Amino acid sequence: MENRLVIDKYSEQYYPPTPTNFTLFWRKFIPFQILRFIILTLKIIKIVVKGHS
Amino acid sequence: MAKVVVLGAGVAGHTAASYLQKYLSKQHQITVVSPTSTYQWIPSNIWVGVGRMTAEDIKFDLIPLYKKWGIEFLQAKAISFYPEGDNDTNSGYVEVEYTSPQKFGLKQKVPFDFLINATGPKLNFGATEGLIPGQGNIASVCTFGHATEAWKLFKEKLDKMKNGQKQTFVIGTGHPTATCQGAAFEYILNVDFEIKRRGLQDLAEVIWITNEYELGDFGMGGAFIKKGGFISNTKLFAESYFVERNIKWIKRAGVKKIDAHKIFYENLDGEYLEQNYDFAMLIPGFAGHGFKAFDKQNSDITDCLFAPNGLMKVDADYTPRPFEQWSVQDWPQTYQNPSYPNIFAPGIAFAPPHSISKPMTSKNGTPIFATAPRTGMPSGVMGKVTAENIIAWIKTGDPEIKHRASMGRMGAACIVSAGYGMSKGTAATMTVSPVVPDWDKFPEWGRDIKTTMGEPGLAGHWLKWLMHYMFLYKAKGKPFWWLIPE
Ligand SMILES: Cc1cc2nc3c(=O)[nH]c(=O)nc-3n(C[C@H](O)[C@H](O)[C@H](O)COP(=O)(O)OP(=O)(O)OC[C@H]3O[C@@H](n4cnc5c(N)ncnc54)[C@H](O)[C@@H]3O)c2cc1C
Repeated sequence: MENRLVIDKYSEQYYPPTPTNFTLFWRKFIPFQILRFIILTLKIIKIVVKGHS
Repeated sequence: MAKVVVLGAGVAGHTAASYLQKYLSKQHQITVVSPTSTYQWIPSNIWVGVGRMTAEDIKFDLIPLYKKWGIEFLQAKAISFYPEGDNDTNSGYVEVEYTSPQKFGLKQKVPFDFLINATGPKLNFGATEGLIPGQGNIASVCTFGHATEAWKLFKEKLDKMKNGQKQTFVIGTGHPTATCQGAAFEYILNVDFEIKRRGLQDLAEVIWITNEYELGDFGMGGAFIKKGGFISNTKLFAESYFVERNIKWIKRAGVKKIDAHKIFYENLDGEYLEQNYDFAMLIPGFAGHGFKAFDKQNSDITDCLFAPNGLMKVDADYTPRPFEQWSVQDWPQTYQNPSYPNIFAPGIAFAPPHSISKPMTSKNGTPIFATAPRTGMPSGVMGKVTAENIIAWIKTGDPEIKHRASMGRMGAACIVSAGYGMSKGTAATMTVSPVVPDWDKFPEWGRDIKTTMGEPGLAGHWLKWLMHYMFLYKAKGKPFWWLIPE
């Protein structure tokens, strides 16, 4: 499996999902991350505004 | 003239003081009491602890700012509360003891019309045998001083690995009912990032130890997030983060004792186990500061003001109920003390009605679970709301409390740094709304699934980095600081 480090079988670490190279690429791809930065900032602002009453 | 006294110059106290000075005219007196004259942006301690920032980058001196703002600053610590005054003093007062070198140890009465207790937590290292930051191989990142020492120790370990010696890093919670898992989670990810950045991963074993029932609980009972076509729990998110990095974990563990090389813990199955380590950063339990309170006749009324854990009682519903009957209505909204309405306790200083995560007990009867976190954003909002209510009261003379901020209504954003760097860094942007799950309003997921999220990526690092500068800018009271939300 992509990016999977050596893990003991049947241990807790054996089961969780591991990101694929595709996922890891998008997490670092600057143009996409700029877009995500804008979206995440807007989402945070929405939460902040909602929290003040 | 009204006298408003703010105890503590952390996120909640400093936020409250900054709004009080902005909206109250100079005829009113604002006093801030804090044992240190520096303000620190605590979340960036993570980066101090891995050598990516220095203490100087995250703190500044409050004295010139308070002078400019016309706030009286006393470098002292509060010791006892006299909300009704005493035979000699008609108004309520707080007894403080100076910590500044000039007046060290001197005691003084500080009278108030309104009191904001924003003294945050006592870092209760003493509750875990041997947990002494800076001693041996034990580190902490709870203050900038601790984080600076943590980096020195971490650097020593990095040097050992460079010389071919294997090292075990154990990071997590250092008490069976500790909170603040998020900070430890960030630190373990940053430690791991720095080890890998130096190509030393083959010589390092990195282990997470936690009192959480499942990973990703973070003291808020975990959260559900929508991602990749699924709605999944933060358990999966946290585990995946660790698996990706080959970080192992020990969960449901109540750390009871630590010596120079071993951590001793009990798990929910009642087993007593040990874990070897070469570097440990364990978050201590939090408690109140052990303040005492007295009425006019000098009778002890500590239990009127404070809960048994030493945190201040506010407008929460403290009726003991089983987990199944907990509700968001139990959580406070105004942070006003029920016995003395002119006393407020925003931030970590207030006593929560109960935890958010389900309390668990080991087979031997030891409570092992994450207690409720009160992160920076809610603490800042509580500080602001408290200031707004006091300002309105002073200006109108009407004690009706209009501004509210319940953790059962407000959300929180937490950027979980997982490595520093403008092109190689990463962080998970986590938002939860509300902080305390509201199962009546959101019966399926406990929270608003549209605004509760967790997203790893480089953008998260930029956000965390930006927040560092933005919040320090705001705290320094630079032009238009009030436009920056808490
Ligand atoms: C390492 C770390 C990382 C964190 N990262 C994040 C994060 O990324 N995001 C987030 O939202 N939250 C984070 N937090 C949590 C956040 O720092 C707290 O929620 C916040 O600081 C709480 O604010 P507070 O004002 O209640 O307490 P504090 O900020 O602790 O302030 C308490 C103040 O009271 C003063 N004081 C103490 N005793 C007395 C006394 N006797 N008399 C007078 N004053 C006193 C203290 O000196 C201090 O000025 C982190 C915490 C830690 C430890």
